[in-house]
Amino acid sequence: MSTHQHHTKDFLFTYVFSTDHKMISKQFLITGFLMGFIGLIMSTLFRLQLGWPGESFEIVELLMGSWQENGVMNPDKYLALVTMHGTIMVFFLLTAGLSGTFSNLLIPLQIGARDMASGFLNMLSYWFFFVSSVIMLISLFVEGGSASAGWTIYPPLSALPQAIPGSGAGMTLWLIAMSIFIVSSLIGSLNYIVTVFNLRTKGMSMTRLPLTIWAFLLTAVLGVLSFPVLLSAALLLVFDRSFGTSFYLSDIYIGGQVLDHSGGSPILFEHLFWFLGHPEVYIVLLPALGITSEIISTMSRKPIFGYRAMIGSMMAIAFLSFIVWGHHMFLTGMNPFLGSVFTFTTLLIAIPSAVKVFNYLTTLWKGNIVFTPATLFSVGLVSTFISGGVTGLVLGNSALDINVHDTYFVIGHFHIVMGLSAIFGMFAGVYHWFPKLFGRMMNNKLGNVHFWFTIVCSYGVFFPMHFLGFAGVPRRYYTFSEFPMFEEMISINEFISIFAIIAMLAQLVFFFNFVYSALRGPKAPMNPWRANSLEWTTPVEHFHGNWYGEIPTVYRWPYDYSKVDSNGDYLYGEDFIPQTTPLGENEKDGGEH
Amino acid sequence: MKKMEENIKQMTTLRAENINYKEELKRKTSKPLIWIGIVSIIMFFGGLTSAVIVSQGGGGFLAIEMPFSFTISTVIIVLSSVAFQFGLISVKKGNYLAAKLSITLTLILGLLFIVTQYMGWTFLHDNGYYAAGKDSTQESSFLYLLTGLHVVHLIGGLFSLLFVLVKTMKNKYSLENITGMQVSIIYWHFLGALWIYLFLFLRFIIA
Amino acid sequence: MMTIVVIITAILIVIVGSQLLKIAELKAKSKGELIYEVSEKQGKSQAVILLIFMFGLIGFFFWQMYAWYGLRLPVSASAHGEAIDYLSDVTFLIITPVFLLTHVVLLWFCFKYAYSSKRKALFFSHSNKLETVWTVAPALVLTVLILMGLTSWNEIMTPVPSETEHVLIELTGQQFNWTARYAGDDKKLGRSHVSLIEGVNGTGVDLSDVDAKDDKLVKGEFHLPIGVPVQFVFRSLDVIHSAYLPHFRAQMNCVPGITTQFNFTPTITTEEMRIKVGNDEFNYVLLCNKICGAAHYNMQMDVIVESQEDYDKWLAEQKTLVE
Repeated sequence: MSTHQHHTKDFLFTYVFSTDHKMISKQFLITGFLMGFIGLIMSTLFRLQLGWPGESFEIVELLMGSWQENGVMNPDKYLALVTMHGTIMVFFLLTAGLSGTFSNLLIPLQIGARDMASGFLNMLSYWFFFVSSVIMLISLFVEGGSASAGWTIYPPLSALPQAIPGSGAGMTLWLIAMSIFIVSSLIGSLNYIVTVFNLRTKGMSMTRLPLTIWAFLLTAVLGVLSFPVLLSAALLLVFDRSFGTSFYLSDIYIGGQVLDHSGGSPILFEHLFWFLGHPEVYIVLLPALGITSEIISTMSRKPIFGYRAMIGSMMAIAFLSFIVWGHHMFLTGMNPFLGSVFTFTTLLIAIPSAVKVFNYLTTLWKGNIVFTPATLFSVGLVSTFISGGVTGLVLGNSALDINVHDTYFVIGHFHIVMGLSAIFGMFAGVYHWFPKLFGRMMNNKLGNVHFWFTIVCSYGVFFPMHFLGFAGVPRRYYTFSEFPMFEEMISINEFISIFAIIAMLAQLVFFFNFVYSALRGPKAPMNPWRANSLEWTTPVEHFHGNWYGEIPTVYRWPYDYSKVDSNGDYLYGEDFIPQTTPLGENEKDGGEH
Repeated sequence: MKKMEENIKQMTTLRAENINYKEELKRKTSKPLIWIGIVSIIMFFGGLTSAVIVSQGGGGFLAIEMPFSFTISTVIIVLSSVAFQFGLISVKKGNYLAAKLSITLTLILGLLFIVTQYMGWTFLHDNGYYAAGKDSTQESSFLYLLTGLHVVHLIGGLFSLLFVLVKTMKNKYSLENITGMQVSIIYWHFLGALWIYLFLFLRFIIA
Repeated sequence: MMTIVVIITAILIVIVGSQLLKIAELKAKSKGELIYEVSEKQGKSQAVILLIFMFGLIGFFFWQMYAWYGLRLPVSASAHGEAIDYLSDVTFLIITPVFLLTHVVLLWFCFKYAYSSKRKALFFSHSNKLETVWTVAPALVLTVLILMGLTSWNEIMTPVPSETEHVLIELTGQQFNWTARYAGDDKKLGRSHVSLIEGVNGTGVDLSDVDAKDDKLVKGEFHLPIGVPVQFVFRSLDVIHSAYLPHFRAQMNCVPGITTQFNFTPTITTEEMRIKVGNDEFNYVLLCNKICGAAHYNMQMDVIVESQEDYDKWLAEQKTLVE
């Protein structure tokens, strides 16, 4: 075999079809960020329309081709943009990008395993994700445009091309892409669950696992139980669209014609969709919460407060997330009794969420906090989780939902918890585990600039939306200018759009920092944050197998920070005790009570 | 120093000579993996069967006469599970000829299952129950869809079974080395159980 | 041309930026430091900025209230809306202090406990008492909100009893306008189906149905009498729409294939509301609030609330379908 062939085969298997979880995590990260950037540009474009309705923009003309006329976007293509923005951000960036990156990177490293249960399945999971991303992007360029019925794609709007052009080929490609995406997500989740349960190193009991692992495990369980239902919803929609069935369609008169479908109900779709849709937002959020627990604890040099309560609250959130989906459907005409049940369960979720927030605050209390960009973003997550979470109390109460459902109040709420909290968790994770991903350090000053611009501008974008919602402004409106009652709100839109543009530009600082540091950043030491968990005991240079020689044995939980003896001196001389340090005489493992 | 590092790297790289490690890994994780995969398939059919119930809503479905072929399907798939299980037991006991015969029988029964499904669909079609289009009803669409999707999953099971059969013919399995067959048989029994669930569900909800 | 300038500028910024970062790294090295180590001074300055942010965020909140609180919907124009507004006020009276106080605590802690080599953090890992406190307290608050909410919800979602005098209107949504059908003196709406749509019978009313004989189809604006409950039946001809009447705190999806219902009693006439909001061109409006296609942003119908006599007069002028 010639060396040339050998090198090509090596390159293919090391970089392209790698089965090494660390390489796969980087693949997820980069693809996720690329998709996220595209979603970000889409939002900037439609914020241009909303801030300055009807005005012509060169960039719109440049980027939107046949979707615009003289630099003003078409109303139905506005809907295509918001649809694709939502789809890309929720699924491709915050589900695959966030879970795919950190579950893959951290699970084997933090539990003490050489790799995932099946490197092959893991590799397939990434490549299915890649293919689904490509198909989703292709759908932007087909005749009629991409899917345009909102990321929630309710039929009949999403089933009938005559209702909106994007519901033609664009919607078909959306369904194909999402089906492949769901398979990718399921394969990934399989791996995460089996690895956490079966491949932990000696001494790594479940109650010595870092909270990131608990979060990723619960997220994977949520995924296995809920994504298949979305697949069934999508399959029935495919049949209604292309094979003349009537699962969702009935009694329709459109374009001067009565359609042949009868007996179906769009509400069936809503039930199936939201059965995934609600757990989905916790699939997005839980990893971010896990990452924040880890970072706040490490950087405050204190144990996370209430380790078991944190696990319990994550389990409560995961369980409850399956019985609240109806709060997206209060006004669909379903039996009011059901509405009452869902109000009850929805407001219950506030309790474990509150417990988590108070535990984060108590972790910071009397800590000794080192402020890296990761710390800042974790603090930012706590702030946005509070801000976005409290408005959930309004939306979850069915009587109050009557007047704010589908208004800008909802947009404010879910963007603050997902578009801010979850993405902040992702950023925090990137800054914090960059040394493990790329063996180099990111630049702190640029990271701080990125954080401050992002949080200030993002609050500037989403806070005002609550006021718009309370004034009755509906969502997914191309312009407010057709209603005299909304005339005074147009200036608020301008305010929001300006902040949105600045926030978008701030992300460029992050991308520059990311790329520069990955290529030419300062080399990282093995344990730059002086942390306890196992990933910081592996060598900086990657190799498949993670540890030279045997995998370390674990003797304690990961939160022994600033543990002192009766004299007030640090045990073992440092303010941190790695999990691989055996317990001393008379020393109890901090994880036990 | 670099040479030592190289040596250590060679000792522990997964892609290299650690066959034992790979085998051990497969043994430990293959079965949990297939079980969790089965959970996701259960949720998929769960979504679809709840869709049937929600679609029924207030008004019931018009009763559809179940083809007798579906009852034969049930018998066939149960027999196939029995045959496969017998094959597994034979391998464990070292009775390799019996194993080869039973697993071949399982494959044949699996194919026969598909034949009876097809016969069932033709029966339905001939009696005016259509899967799609103007003359279909929700009940009939669901009926074809649920049984059809089961067959799709069964075809996956057949590929797995074929793979197992080839390996059995080559005498690759033994008491110490049956993980591959166990994974396949778990999935196969699941397909049988799923069919029984669907069969009863369809009989009592749609028929 | 502009594009090329932008691209070249971007490339130059990237090159300059990279060089600056490299210089910063080397400068730190020459001082014997590592560029990625956060010095105590750097940490403390971030802590100060966090404190400033606390004032900024709280200030921003109050500024928004000052600037935009007045833009909210006017007082409820329906009877049940008062209960909703009351519950809304109670909820905000709870969540606003929570929002403010938790942020003060969060950001003050960040400031106060910024890293200092002279201190040690406190190893405090759990307290069942504290966990109980902040499990029970939110639970109690939520119980209050749930009970209040569900009481209102049940009342609001109960249809008007048929014995009570009421106006019965069917609102049909379609891409991209609304049609109102009044039930007429028999208080009953005739059957309808999309297959019967023809010409002026835009919603497919079954004209052979005796109940349909006195039904009246109205477009553009519809009227309601003050103080009389109005029972709505909602339909859609094509895709899901949503009938949103924000001034009346009313909203309900219009779903093709089924009918949905909502009811309310108007309590303020259009004339009275015009005086209240100080705008004599004000009108109540019905908007579509579920994405329904390209012109979703312009699917509206005016609603006029007036005295019983004015309403009767207006209704008498509307033609029945048969006519």
